[in-house]
Amino acid sequence: MTDTIASASSQLIGALLSAKDDAITTIAESDKPIDLLRIEVLGPKSDFANFTKQMKSIAPADRQAVGVVINEVKNAIEEALVQTRHPELGTQNSPWFDVTMPGILPPVGHLHIVTQAIMEITDIFNKIGFTRVRHPEVDWDYYAFESLNMPANHPARDEWETFFIDYPGKPSFAKASARRGKIVLTPHTSNGQVREMEKGKLPIRMINIAKCYRRQIDVSHTPMFHQFEGLYIDKDVSISHLKGVFDYFVKQFYGPDRTIRLRPFHFQFTEPSFEVDINCGICLGKSMLPNGQKCRLCKSGWLEMAGSGMVHPNVLKAGGIDPNVYSGFAFGWGVERAYMMKNNTKIDDIRLIYNNDIRFLEQF
Amino acid sequence: MNILIPDSWLKKFLITKATPEQLIKYLSLCGPSIERVSKDLDPVYDVEITTNRPDAMSVFGIAREASVILPRFGIKAELIDDPHKIDTKLETKHLRPTDIKQIHIETNSDLNPRWTSIIVDNVYATDSPIWLQDLLNKAGVRPINTIVDVTNYLMIAFGQPCHAFDYDRIGKKNGIPWMKLRASKKGEKLKTLDGKSHTLWEDDIVIEDGTGKLMDLCGIMGGESSSITNNTKTIVLFTQNYEPVHIRKTMMKLSHRTDAGSLFEKGIDSELVLPALLLGIELLQEIAGGKIASLITDIYPKPYKPITILCTRTKLNTYLGTSLETKQIKDILVSLGLMPTIKDSTIEVIVPSFRRDIEIDVDIIEEVARIYGYHTIKNRLPDGEMPVVIENPTLHWEEEIKVRLRDWGYTETYTYSMLSKQQMDQWQLDCTKAYKIENPLSNEWVYMRPTLVPSVISSVKQNMYHKESLKLFELSIIYEYREQNLPLERPVLCVAWSGHKFLEAKGLAQAIFDIFGISFPETLETYGSINEIHDQSITILNLYIDRLVNTASAKRSYTPMPKYPSIMEDLAFIVPEKFAIGPLMAALKSTDSLIQSVTLLDVHENVRTLHIVYQDREKNLTSEDVTPIRNKLITLAKQSFGVTLKG
Repeated sequence: MTDTIASASSQLIGALLSAKDDAITTIAESDKPIDLLRIEVLGPKSDFANFTKQMKSIAPADRQAVGVVINEVKNAIEEALVQTRHPELGTQNSPWFDVTMPGILPPVGHLHIVTQAIMEITDIFNKIGFTRVRHPEVDWDYYAFESLNMPANHPARDEWETFFIDYPGKPSFAKASARRGKIVLTPHTSNGQVREMEKGKLPIRMINIAKCYRRQIDVSHTPMFHQFEGLYIDKDVSISHLKGVFDYFVKQFYGPDRTIRLRPFHFQFTEPSFEVDINCGICLGKSMLPNGQKCRLCKSGWLEMAGSGMVHPNVLKAGGIDPNVYSGFAFGWGVERAYMMKNNTKIDDIRLIYNNDIRFLEQF
Repeated sequence: MNILIPDSWLKKFLITKATPEQLIKYLSLCGPSIERVSKDLDPVYDVEITTNRPDAMSVFGIAREASVILPRFGIKAELIDDPHKIDTKLETKHLRPTDIKQIHIETNSDLNPRWTSIIVDNVYATDSPIWLQDLLNKAGVRPINTIVDVTNYLMIAFGQPCHAFDYDRIGKKNGIPWMKLRASKKGEKLKTLDGKSHTLWEDDIVIEDGTGKLMDLCGIMGGESSSITNNTKTIVLFTQNYEPVHIRKTMMKLSHRTDAGSLFEKGIDSELVLPALLLGIELLQEIAGGKIASLITDIYPKPYKPITILCTRTKLNTYLGTSLETKQIKDILVSLGLMPTIKDSTIEVIVPSFRRDIEIDVDIIEEVARIYGYHTIKNRLPDGEMPVVIENPTLHWEEEIKVRLRDWGYTETYTYSMLSKQQMDQWQLDCTKAYKIENPLSNEWVYMRPTLVPSVISSVKQNMYHKESLKLFELSIIYEYREQNLPLERPVLCVAWSGHKFLEAKGLAQAIFDIFGISFPETLETYGSINEIHDQSITILNLYIDRLVNTASAKRSYTPMPKYPSIMEDLAFIVPEKFAIGPLMAALKSTDSLIQSVTLLDVHENVRTLHIVYQDREKNLTSEDVTPIRNKLITLAKQSFGVTLKG
């Protein structure tokens, strides 16, 4: 008799297992909603339910074994049901979803290109120990000119189309050359040179980024613009270092195949003075394109980029530094210009930068 | 300053086989930059010469530079017809006047260090020969007649301006043409040969004739009264130099710039004055057939005494980052005409008259370095000691705020820092307490802004038609007025929304305060403000970044996570009209220490639903713990605020 009983339980187990396979097949092939499917394969009228009811006819000794199987079968069917609800897990029968609809964006804002350029420039110089500082944008004539080896009436002052400030209580013309007299809108960031030296700490590796103002407006000038000024003062600073720093910067900012050259120039506050050129990004300094045509961007293979030089002894003295012990270099460069010279910006009119048209701003 | 130099003119002073391309490349590397070149058969170079080098502002000057630079690149170049090599004594002696015409000359050596002149008779003011017209045209100067063309030739060839007066038109005194150079007096009048009348200030350099009338605005332009006409027969040919600052001031005061003035204001070589006059006489006789009618007048009381400059070799080597041999240094300096004496540790040069820009040791370093070639100097990154610097925290915070705003969906603008008078008035900003530009470029940009608000609002208005919902910001310096001092430059954040967005503005301010670790104050006042501009439907948040930075607290301390669950519930209150919820929420929050937070969940008509979180850090809360607190809340709401629980 035990055989019969045993055989009854094994028959039921067999039936349960085949009911499981059938149910999984049904789930896989059906496109009915999941709730209806569940009723069909696990509901009171399902095969699974029918077989479960036969549990009563199984000998008590075998019930535990059958019970384990019932649970396994039920779990397997449940799992199959769950899988049909996730298209990425069991794709065949998922409900249709339009994945070509636009995604839901996080909030998208834009930093102005001047900020972007300043952040990038600051970062590049930071890596070689140049720290960003801030000096006044409206300053005494003394810092903007006089202390930079440009006494009153010096013709070199003409090169800066300077804005002067009229303020209540401004001293008369006769006193205007005094240290605290005339106020100007800084036409360059070089006013930071003597101010930085006056902090009294050496060596100096600074990068001063600020707004500058000049009386000019055309496709390549706006009355307000930004400059970054580098200043390095230490013992034994050489032209070699100046070239090294510029070369490092252009490779970081523009790309590894860019390089620089110095051309002799004159600034009152540096001696020797240079204009720094960068090789053209289109022809890479060859002035010819691979097809033999002349490069249209640069004409000569080089683009003018910045003014620089070895800090003039009179400027070092104005900052309280002995020019026979220390030397240094300085450079000044327009932030907008630096950014516009990146090949891909295609900004052909600097005035666009300060128009603040949202259709422009949102492109960067 | 830029000058135009035709290749054929350059070759009058320079024997070389260098091509235009080589000239452009090598001159730019070691000397004045050639910025452009024309495509003509006789190419014309457009050369930029820096203000410190008046000696190079001429065809001859560029030839001299090229004769030094080209050989450094293996290209032969020889300088010829150097005017400095003219034996002026000998040449002067050779001049044989056929007649002696009288003239009275008086000058002032402080204003006019050297005066030279001569009278030439029987000249013809006709068209110049084609070769001369051609050169002048290419150099950008219009040919006029033989006499004027000779003076222009001298200026372009040698950088020595020159002038010719009509001898017969010079006002006489006691029957003698009379020239007295002096400083002008305020209010004096002078008509220059371009027909313009000038009223002078004081201290302009002028020449007065025998009648007391002014006949020359010295160094800038001749007077009309004695200018050359087609009938001119006898001239006074005149070369000279002037004290540069006077010339410069006069040009600035009269807003009248000329090529001659641009040379004189830079200070030209006194040793070139006489050679130039001699060359002028020669050319004039060649093309205008004149006869010498006087001896040369040369008033030069303080002749140039060469100065000596010393430079240590250590300093030269430091600047170059390499060590140069004695011979290398000597070759370079000799080629430049700077007579050097080189010892073991020093370099001494004797500065010739045409290089008065060389004043100190670093000037010598520049000369050696540029001819040695900047392109041959190696690139090297700084290898000295790193400075120990504490970064300016404001700069860091500004960047942080900008990046956050970008990520929160705001777009940054940069507006001009200047406001118009109209904007100042419209925003009731005090013009007497603002920095006003003395020489503005336009009426739009006159006052340095004491606030960002007007500019940012303009940005919003300008863009309203391009985008429905604007969220713009600017973080820039404002210039706050300080009596008798520079402005206080304060970084300010100004955020603007189109539409009424008070709660967005308040929420943004709260988020920013949170970044700075500052608890949100009841009133923004000391930190800034939120304003709704009703008639324009714009909302503005204005925050003083410096104030935030100063009160910032970067400290974040750890509070252990609660071990026990909290209990949350929502209480809906019915409120009267114009009810301010803020004080109620604050009062409820401080009712009991077990209340962790009170937040506004929903606003619907006159119902405000508050979400209350109760938390005990010591034990599990039960409804028995919460009920008395809830009752306290409800009582407080009713008694102190007249607000009842809904339902």
